[in-house]
Amino acid sequence: MALLEVEDLCIDYKTKNGYLKAVDGVSFSLERGASLGFVGESGCGKTTIGMGLMGMLPPNGVVRRGRILFEGEDLLRVSAEEMRRVRWRKIAMIFQAAMNALNPVQRVGEQVAEAMLVHNPSLGKEKALKAVEELFELVGLQTDRIRDYPHQYSGGMKQRAIIAMSLACRPSLIIADEPTTALDVIVQDQILAEIRALQKEFNIGIIFISHDISIVADMCHDIGIMYAGQLVEYGPREDVFDSPAHPYTRALLSSFPTLTGKRTDLVPIAGETPDLVHPPEGCRFYDRCQEQIPACREKVSRWVAISPGHKALCCRCEMDGR
Amino acid sequence: MELRRYILKRLVQITIIFFVILTVLFLLFRLAPGDPVSRMVDPDMTPEDAEQLIHQLGLDKPLGIQYLVYLKNFFTGHFGISFHYGEPVVDVIWNRLPNTILLFTTSIILSALVGIFLGKIASWHKGEKTDSVMTIGALVTHTLFLPWLALILIWVFGYKLGWFPINGMISEEVWLDPDAGFIAKGLDIGYHMILPLTTLFLIHFGAYLLIMRSSMLETLKEDYILTARAKGLEEKDIRDRHAAPNAALPVVTSVGLSLAFSINGGALTETVFTWPGIGRELVFSVSQNDYPLAQASFLLIAIVVLISNLVVDVLYAYLDPRIRY
Repeated sequence: MALLEVEDLCIDYKTKNGYLKAVDGVSFSLERGASLGFVGESGCGKTTIGMGLMGMLPPNGVVRRGRILFEGEDLLRVSAEEMRRVRWRKIAMIFQAAMNALNPVQRVGEQVAEAMLVHNPSLGKEKALKAVEELFELVGLQTDRIRDYPHQYSGGMKQRAIIAMSLACRPSLIIADEPTTALDVIVQDQILAEIRALQKEFNIGIIFISHDISIVADMCHDIGIMYAGQLVEYGPREDVFDSPAHPYTRALLSSFPTLTGKRTDLVPIAGETPDLVHPPEGCRFYDRCQEQIPACREKVSRWVAISPGHKALCCRCEMDGR
Repeated sequence: MELRRYILKRLVQITIIFFVILTVLFLLFRLAPGDPVSRMVDPDMTPEDAEQLIHQLGLDKPLGIQYLVYLKNFFTGHFGISFHYGEPVVDVIWNRLPNTILLFTTSIILSALVGIFLGKIASWHKGEKTDSVMTIGALVTHTLFLPWLALILIWVFGYKLGWFPINGMISEEVWLDPDAGFIAKGLDIGYHMILPLTTLFLIHFGAYLLIMRSSMLETLKEDYILTARAKGLEEKDIRDRHAAPNAALPVVTSVGLSLAFSINGGALTETVFTWPGIGRELVFSVSQNDYPLAQASFLLIAIVVLISNLVVDVLYAYLDPRIRY
């Protein structure tokens, strides 16, 4: 049984103008200890998926349909209290904008210990702080920094502390939402290596969310490309990178520089994402697509298998038989 | 110990500021047009008494010496004789200051605690009925005119219902009773305090409620609140352990300002309730041209402002570790 199976997940945000379809019909699965990355530009719904998995959508967020099977249990059907107990104990999160993810007026060690004590109050504060020491060693933080406050930490140290915190309850799934966005590339590299090593050591499933395709390529076995609330291409990393099928994926790849491949001009993707309150009938990328055909506009796109495990949501791919 | 070093640093700063104020005040009273003697010595005194006081205040010496005498007098507690009361200024102040501190500190702490608590609840129920009732209630009570509210309370609860004394701070029959113990006297003061305290509380808690509410709403948007929720904390704990301590910081600043101005700002309340406090005395001394009392009062205000600043700084540093470094 897969660790996580998401089927046809649809999440709407209630807005003044109507329901905004932030996540529309997303399905994927993740094995224990595997890694999956979601890439897409801002507003494509990748963070909303993470929040949906945690049961932490903002008040105006509603799950319209779908199933989130986590360890065989549908998280969309459990009570709020049960969901609270799943959080961090089973699914932990490494946040976007790690700079403010720690409470400025509490000692870092106590915040990490709190994560353990919430789910296991009988542990006691002293034992919890002892366990924090181990976690700090694990992520390469000096244990004498446990009693420090967040502002005494550098950006990289804060992120390490958050990683330590995410491991506090030995979860089976960690959702990492832009975990290194605010860090410089050297620290970013160290942090990513750290996450990879720990993932292997503890056999944790990781969902990696980033707008930076190179990080996801580095970290994840499977990749999902997201556009305007939909998953548009999904498959093993090599397949998606070496033979991208969806025009958006190709456009995305050519808008990023590469160090090893041949030198090409970076091509920005012109245009804007469609209105998600009234999304177009056909392909959502139609207006910006370089390879559009009339059918793309009218027909609802369907998934096309490119190779085993590699698929794309594209009308042209279907026609071309790619 | 960063906290101790921080407090020490603030103490040194405050001492320096205080000396500056002391000097400015000295110059203000000496360099103002007119004869300083006439300002510091009661015209009704006998010539001998006046002579002695002039000597004690150093008014017969050059300005430099006067300054030193002034400093010496300050540290030995000689501020001259009040024109109006004919007793040392120190005694006048010393008899009334504790009454003011008792009433206002109690009212500020009480209204701050209640305001913080209610503001927290209101923000948690933002947009709901609880929030509307609290916010509107706070706005209404906060904008009431203090003397009006005080008079209404006196009229209803003091006069019509007769539940509470109408004015004063003590009942003579209790304090003149040789058998009355410490507790009985304390209870008597408390009994007299209820109406002025209620007035001050009603006027002030709304401000704290509104500050706390908006501060909470800001804090709840912070990333660490998201972290706390992701950690699986119960909503109550997110609110009380993560949001409220951060949100309460601006309220602390506001409490400090209220403390600082309670000494002189309490004149209205003290007058309506004939509370024998210092605020009433200050207004009185100025209107009566009682210079010695006025000078000492200015100094007192400076001291109170400085001390409440220090209290706020220390409290702030205690609550927010970022301040200490």
